[in-house]
Amino acid sequence: MSPARTPDDVARRRAFAEVVEPEIEVMLRVARSLTGSAVDAEDLVQESLVRAFRAVDRFDGRHPRAWLLTILRNTNANLHRRRRPTTVDDWELIHASRPAFGAAEAPAAEDVYVHEQLDAPLRDAVAALDPRFRSVLVLVDVHDLSYAEAASVLDVPVGTVMSRLSRARERVRKAIGPTLTTIRGDQS
Amino acid sequence: MSRMLRQMISCHWTAKRIQRYLDADPSAPLTPGEVTRLEEHVAACERCREVLGQHRLLHRALSLWTGTRPVDQAAIDRMRSVLEDLTEGRQA
Repeated sequence: MSPARTPDDVARRRAFAEVVEPEIEVMLRVARSLTGSAVDAEDLVQESLVRAFRAVDRFDGRHPRAWLLTILRNTNANLHRRRRPTTVDDWELIHASRPAFGAAEAPAAEDVYVHEQLDAPLRDAVAALDPRFRSVLVLVDVHDLSYAEAASVLDVPVGTVMSRLSRARERVRKAIGPTLTTIRGDQS
Repeated sequence: MSRMLRQMISCHWTAKRIQRYLDADPSAPLTPGEVTRLEEHVAACERCREVLGQHRLLHRALSLWTGTRPVDQAAIDRMRSVLEDLTEGRQA
């Protein structure tokens, strides 16, 4: 028999579910970056959800994604320290993918340019980055995390995220600059 | 000469803010005055307009990789199930 629940308890559980459910996908994406494996990512997210639930009374309700990503990072540090400490280095995984056949919508013209013209030079430029810079670039530009969320995942100040991101983007932009210019010229 | 110097300073000022302008991240917003100044400069400066366009295209290119490798829906469903177990008191 399950223990009796107070109205407060029920409300707390419902609020937790409402806050966390929309963040599951981003948690899985970031977890895959941290662990380098879809299977390990699920284990990590599952453990993080359990820890978040236990800690929910200490959560002030603000910035739930950053809160959850901080728990994810800490959980990963505890579970997987021996393997890949804060790598966030899934560029190869991301890049190895291709759009599925039978996609419902035709890609926009710019997206076709991006895939056909930028694919190889972008891959090379990002691969050449220092891992610390690449991590920030992947989190913010590939996973669309905010500065604060990326700072939570990497356990660095927001200012560090900004400076690393700025350098990473500048290096990539300069590395593939001629390609970008050519594409713009072709489109006009 | 002083006009060239002013242009260089303005380009430098703009270059340091282009990424924050495009990101519009709540952690580091530009002030309305900075946005106006940057937009006015970009409208008048072909080189900075080019840099702005390149950063915009880069971000688009990087975002697309997310779209081509979505998280497995079955994994999302499994984690939803874990969440439901937690909030229903079946796991703690």
